[in-house]
Amino acid sequence: MANFINLILNENMKIYRRIRTWIMFGFILLIPPLVSLAIYLAGGDDMSGWSIMMTESYILYSLITIFAVVVAADSVAGEFTWGTIKLLLIRPWSRSTILLSKYLATLLFALFFTAAAFVVTFLSNWLIFGLGDTTLSTSGLSNWEYIIRFYLFQFITLIMIVTFGFTMSSAFRSGGLAIGLSISFLFAGNLITGLFALANKGWVKYVLFMHLDLTNYIDGGTGPIPNHPTTLGFSLAVLAVYFILFNAVSWTVFKKRDVAA
Amino acid sequence: MSQAPVVRLQNVTKVIGKRTIIDRVSFEVRPGEVFGFLGPNGSGKTTTIRMIVGLMGLTAGDIHIADHSIKTEYPQAIVHVGAIVENPEMYKFLTGYQNLLHYARMIPSVTEERIQEVIELVGLQGRIHDKVKKYSLGMRQRLGVAQAIMHRPKLLVLDEPTNGLDPAGIRELRDYLRKLAQDEGTAVLVSSHLLSEMELMCDRVAILQKGQIIDIRSIRGQAAEGENVALEEVQFDVDHPDAALGILEGQGDGRIEGGILTLSSDRKGIAVVNRRLVEAGINVYGIRVKTKSLEDQFLEVTGSETIG
Repeated sequence: MANFINLILNENMKIYRRIRTWIMFGFILLIPPLVSLAIYLAGGDDMSGWSIMMTESYILYSLITIFAVVVAADSVAGEFTWGTIKLLLIRPWSRSTILLSKYLATLLFALFFTAAAFVVTFLSNWLIFGLGDTTLSTSGLSNWEYIIRFYLFQFITLIMIVTFGFTMSSAFRSGGLAIGLSISFLFAGNLITGLFALANKGWVKYVLFMHLDLTNYIDGGTGPIPNHPTTLGFSLAVLAVYFILFNAVSWTVFKKRDVAA
Repeated sequence: MSQAPVVRLQNVTKVIGKRTIIDRVSFEVRPGEVFGFLGPNGSGKTTTIRMIVGLMGLTAGDIHIADHSIKTEYPQAIVHVGAIVENPEMYKFLTGYQNLLHYARMIPSVTEERIQEVIELVGLQGRIHDKVKKYSLGMRQRLGVAQAIMHRPKLLVLDEPTNGLDPAGIRELRDYLRKLAQDEGTAVLVSSHLLSEMELMCDRVAILQKGQIIDIRSIRGQAAEGENVALEEVQFDVDHPDAALGILEGQGDGRIEGGILTLSSDRKGIAVVNRRLVEAGINVYGIRVKTKSLEDQFLEVTGSETIG
């Protein structure tokens, strides 16, 4: 097991020894205080820190998802582009273990950025606006409970999109294509959800895109599709099926394909 | 030292689509041997090497490294292999040291001291903490060698190792490979289309064409049983070449090239020819064996037009 940790250390080294990663991190650190300050100076000094924290967390989550997709895409496709995949694979490790280390390192990256976003959005709004007595929830949750559920649900969405990016990255071995597809996946998701929600068909609740935004459940809502009430458990089950499907594709492709480039 | 082969290929075949890229290739490399893999571009050298290191799957046949099948016991087989496949591509945004650390972490036997040792061995100690993007091609090649030998592999596989090296670098690499083979008993498999280079470096050479091995021969005159011993071109410097040719009528492929009597012969034959010439009163001023270069032999078996 100590050995497998070495593989994660290697992947981490390849993520954090790049200047790019720290530029991304700079965005996470700078955006919340700057946005809060701008709102404060624009006359919003009576706003509640909690609501601004929610808004900024939304923005940061899109950014973190994009960053994590970039890291995921590079993690596999980058090795092919650089040619380093050849030296990486000829070691006493199975291809699946190497892929697992890359996947986990990408998720750790997302987790690290999410934690940073949480701390930074909280601190900057607490310091600038104070916490106030706003309640975010309409169903009696405390603000802490609400925000933590929000982060948790958004992280599930992020895992889905990163997993998709990872699959595209190992299937096409092109970082650009993987990033492009994942980001359109992220944004097209909202449009498709809107369109499908109008359709009065039962099968729409099995469409992956319908379940990418779980925030409706925070206050005990009936799910993202107006005409077809679903539970959180149902949404998670649908996501789990797609999650397994994406990973099965990544693993099969990465294990079987010849490295000819 | 055991003489069991370090790597054994048995009827290795690769079919991509409907094309047979590699067709029933079999050979062995023994400990302490430098084995060359020679062929024109597109003959399947790189494909074979990729199959040996497990980057490509086999359609049929099997490869054993230190008695472990690459198909069923990959980690146990590959742990004995160090390789550079084509160019030594490294993570450019990492330092040389971080690159070595990266590969060292993947193999339990490599210690911190061993990393330092190989850095000194390849002469990179002054620049090892610079980023690889600042390295010259020669320095990258050295770093590539360092990662390949770090875990003291039983088999070292080098695909076109002299690409991009200057003459001094080529010579250094050659000397180092020979030393590694002699002192540590490492089996070395090198591929190249540079014939003269292979001639200086290898003990045995397999010639590959269109995915098939058409010949395996020893260099350095240590021909093993069952392998080709080529007849050599012998030049006789005589005073009357035409008369000499007449005397030798019916003896091989005698001809006159630039006033010199030339024929193919083995060692014994030279003495016979010389005696006949002298007995016939022809003055022989010199006898020179024109050693066939590997290039000549290569062209002979592959046909000249296929050289890439």
